[in-house]
Amino acid sequence: MESAVKSRRLSAKAGRVCGILFLVVMILFTLYPIIYTVLGSLKTNAELTAGGSFFPEEWQFQNYYQAFVQADFVKYTANSVILAVSTTALAVVSCALAGFMFARRDFAGKKILLALYTSMMFISLGSVTLYPIYQFLQNLGLDKSMAGLVIALTGGQAVNVLLVMGFVKGIPKELDEAAIIDGCTIYGVFGRILLPLMKPILAVVALFVFRNTWNDYITTLIMTITNPDLQTLTVAVVQLKYSVNAAAEWHIMLAGASIAIIPILIVYLLCNKQFIAGLTAGAVKG
Amino acid sequence: MKKKRTKMTAGHRKKLFKRNMEAYSFLLPNLILFILCSIYPVIWTLKYVFYQYGGIGTGDPKWVGLHNLIRVFQDEVYWQSVINTFVYGFGKVLIIIPLAFFLALLLNRQTRFNGIAQSMVFLPTIMSSAVMGLVFYLLFNAYNGQVNQYLMSLNIIDSPINWLGKEHAMTTLIITAIWGGVGNYMVYFIAGLQQVAKDALESAKIDGAGPVQTLWYVTIPMMGPILKIILMLSITSAFNDITNVMVLTEGGPNNATMVMSLYGYRYFFPISASEAVVPQYGYGAAVSVVSAVIAGAVTVLYLRASRKLDDIY
Repeated sequence: MESAVKSRRLSAKAGRVCGILFLVVMILFTLYPIIYTVLGSLKTNAELTAGGSFFPEEWQFQNYYQAFVQADFVKYTANSVILAVSTTALAVVSCALAGFMFARRDFAGKKILLALYTSMMFISLGSVTLYPIYQFLQNLGLDKSMAGLVIALTGGQAVNVLLVMGFVKGIPKELDEAAIIDGCTIYGVFGRILLPLMKPILAVVALFVFRNTWNDYITTLIMTITNPDLQTLTVAVVQLKYSVNAAAEWHIMLAGASIAIIPILIVYLLCNKQFIAGLTAGAVKG
Repeated sequence: MKKKRTKMTAGHRKKLFKRNMEAYSFLLPNLILFILCSIYPVIWTLKYVFYQYGGIGTGDPKWVGLHNLIRVFQDEVYWQSVINTFVYGFGKVLIIIPLAFFLALLLNRQTRFNGIAQSMVFLPTIMSSAVMGLVFYLLFNAYNGQVNQYLMSLNIIDSPINWLGKEHAMTTLIITAIWGGVGNYMVYFIAGLQQVAKDALESAKIDGAGPVQTLWYVTIPMMGPILKIILMLSITSAFNDITNVMVLTEGGPNNATMVMSLYGYRYFFPISASEAVVPQYGYGAAVSVVSAVIAGAVTVLYLRASRKLDDIY
């Protein structure tokens, strides 16, 4: 009897050790590439390719100087910031307006539109659809401009519109009705009553659009083919892979990669709870 | 606001018109974006399935009927890319789901330590798969990469493994995909675990069930519905992965990691900056449409199969 209890306790202990071991391995696995990027960005190219110690022998801060000045990363950083901020703003405003309307009013064509928005979540033709968008923007003369890039990066936002709609539906309609009785127009109801209440879901939308824009590679790459001056950090870093002396520039690549990931790391440090909660709000409910 | 209603019907119509205009004034910004970036490209692609077109300056698009679609079905490299997509997708899903589930079980209880561990495991999901694809390209480099250096200094291997060569490129790709996605699915599973009723777990404990029994007979069956959604998400997202493939292996070597999404892409745009491409928009459109149909069919089959599972339980 006693030995049975003992063996059970022992197996529970063994289980817990295995669990912790598994966790440690997984955390090492997830963190290592990021640590490698940041520490590698401070090593010399020779140290990187020959395989040296874990920490840099001498901290090569001039790698960053080289990336920023010689590889033009000042410009790319500015582009990334401008694009991420304006795309996020456009997405949040357009999703808030549309999501509110879909949730609160019946109007001609609503059913068809909603069916279209929902079906677009399931039709995925992939990145080839960027070509017609590019062509269209070219016809408008927007293909070499920041504005065109913002439009392409914002995209249809069908998922986020439906997300906002679902959230607004959960806000009691009595609030609007009371405001209308008090003489509010629909614009007043939106701006004064609902917009403040929609903040949590709009923060989720903003966070995810910001992340996606900052990290985007393919859309930005294609839309900047004719005007590389608009390239972002992400695109510029990856292009280093194809530069003539790529083999001798690992340190610049890693410095560039660090410049590209550190801002999003900071955003994550500040609001990792929102990232995690937002993911569940978007996926499991929607 | 106040309008005279001399003619009931006309006034009513006017009011209705105003209401609709109001509604569309709210929708307008998003609607423009939605039509331009979502609807129009789909229609464009469906149209060009039936045309031969090389872009501006190569003459007008030429109607070729079903030629492009027939070519897709005869294109051996395309079907290889379909098989590769399935290998990639199943490889990724089969490994990532159990890993994410165990992580969720371990980190489910809301403690401070678990919160920190969760955000560390979740961290890769907020990173750019393009930038990290480049980093993995360096890490897995055969001669100078740190992975081989570590494995050799630990005497696990004698000679460097060509991680990005024909034999191992797919494995390497799946490893990096797991790295980028496991945190996502862990969070989904934690959300699911939180919905498992506490009293069911309590009563299992009172009845003397061990942790393994509780997991097997209580937790997993109660997670059924959410597991179905998570599997569905993981399958569809695996079919859409393109950026990591593009940066890490470029579909190569020799198409060993060419996936459906990238194969259609390459008829539109060059995969790498060192590649020159003669665009074939019509054929690329046909490839993309067939790929979308295949992905859709897999989803439908999965939904049917999972409904069957419901009947068994």
